[in-house]
Amino acid sequence: MKNPNPSASDLNLDLRGLTCPHPVLSCKRALDNPSISSLQALVDDEINVQNLERLSQSQGCTFSKTTEGDHFIVLMSRTAKSTTGKLKADLPVFVDPKQSAKAAAKSNLQAQTVILISKDRFGEGEPEFSTNLLNMFLQTVLQSGHKPQVILLANTGVKLMAKGSPFLKVLNDFQAAGVEVLACGLCVDFYGLKEDIPLPQITNMFVICEYLFAAQKIICP
Amino acid sequence: MTNDHSAIPLKLTEHVKSAGCAAKISSADLQAVLANLSKPICPQLLAGLDNWEDAAVYKITQDVAIVQTIDFFPPMVDDPVLFGRIAATNALSDLYAMGAKPILALNLLCFPVCDFPLSVAGQILQGGASQVEAAGAVVAGGHSIQSAEVIYGLAVTGLIKPEAILTNSGAQVGDNLILTKPIGTGIGLLGHKGEILTLQASQALFSNLTTLSEKALACASSFPIHAATDVTGFGLIGHLHEMAAGANLKFSLKARQVPLLPQVLELASQGFVPAAAYANRQSFADFATVDKNLEQAMVDLLFDPQTSGGLLLAVAPKDCQPLLNSLQATGIGASCIGEFSSGAKGIIEVLA
Repeated sequence: MKNPNPSASDLNLDLRGLTCPHPVLSCKRALDNPSISSLQALVDDEINVQNLERLSQSQGCTFSKTTEGDHFIVLMSRTAKSTTGKLKADLPVFVDPKQSAKAAAKSNLQAQTVILISKDRFGEGEPEFSTNLLNMFLQTVLQSGHKPQVILLANTGVKLMAKGSPFLKVLNDFQAAGVEVLACGLCVDFYGLKEDIPLPQITNMFVICEYLFAAQKIICP
Repeated sequence: MTNDHSAIPLKLTEHVKSAGCAAKISSADLQAVLANLSKPICPQLLAGLDNWEDAAVYKITQDVAIVQTIDFFPPMVDDPVLFGRIAATNALSDLYAMGAKPILALNLLCFPVCDFPLSVAGQILQGGASQVEAAGAVVAGGHSIQSAEVIYGLAVTGLIKPEAILTNSGAQVGDNLILTKPIGTGIGLLGHKGEILTLQASQALFSNLTTLSEKALACASSFPIHAATDVTGFGLIGHLHEMAAGANLKFSLKARQVPLLPQVLELASQGFVPAAAYANRQSFADFATVDKNLEQAMVDLLFDPQTSGGLLLAVAPKDCQPLLNSLQATGIGASCIGEFSSGAKGIIEVLA
């Protein structure tokens, strides 16, 4: 087995001293970034090596390991096939494998624009007016044919999905047009809207982060 | 209740290396530890160290035996009340696996008083007590010490008629085996620790971890159950091996019939596999023949250590469907996962 050369990989991670699941989690997050095509990790536990081998397989990467003193050097590289559209195919797996295929197909057609709504208003001003303005913004996006990949709702933004909210129609129309609408689970809990929002539309900060970092453009009205 | 700590999330699991039943000493190591321990000879002891029984059973009179067991582990969740509830569910599970009705519980708590406010200890005990109460039993005391790591569990006592004891070794040739809960708690808890579980998956996981096997046992009690155990730290294959070896039989496991928690198959395929699952594989690999067509993630799940796992109930084939119907009518997602046959003792044949 050839000795992995540190300078040959896009990213080197020293994960020694970390216990499961942190080494595999760090590598997974790194590989979720499509610009990383190879990754070298130092781990000091055989279990972590085996878990990274499983991660490699699931991400379509080649895998090699060498032993150096009391630790292991693991090298993971994407094969040519696995680099294209990898992230989008992978991300929504957290939600539903069927949705991931849908998202992968979508992402090939459309440069990824993400709308992040982190309050229930458009800008700062008279509250009712600012709420109406946000509704008008979303209607305009929809009517103008712009198609974001996802609308992420956080903080008071999740109130857009509350029962009886004037935004329900436009959000439904977005979904009908194939745009995912996801709400931050922590925020949904905090504002007591658990009953109002369907489970598949509730997500977590990890998924929100992944969408934001993968986006080509983020619009925060 | 005070809110003084609400601003700083307390990380009960911060320094925990293995969570829940994944913290168990491996079967191979445990055998070495117990090797030189003499087995007690006592006519009143109806079940004890033999064949890794779930709990000890001691006959008091012709009609009454007590069943005792103890279970404790480090936290697998940061919510102290939830941790207490899971620990109690897990401890009580062994009583149900013997067919007993819980009556009494004693707390066992190791707690670093310098690292966490005392209210956290109170919440852990509260969670435990609420679950014991839900099982119709009472917490009557316990013992606590200061320690570097949080550990909580309970010693629990139940009552049973001696003739109603369900051992893990009574399976007969042709018996079908029913599992009353999905598996994947070890892998799911790793996903929880990594904060990558969907809300839906974590709800299913925690509901599973806090579901008492009381209703499952109540359904089972209307049928002649030949053998029973619960799935815990040694994983599904480990506990199947105990049942098969105790009955001098082979077991054919239909892997595709095994119910799984949401998201755990995907997590396993991505390498979220706890160390104890690897240890289980090492301990029991010699007893399992696995179909080559079965994906590695599924095999990992079969070795995954379970916390408060479901009951395994061995019944004659004619009773299998009626019992499944009864369980399902009670809202229990039970499944028939395979059958016992004559053949190499204790071998688990895993079919794709």
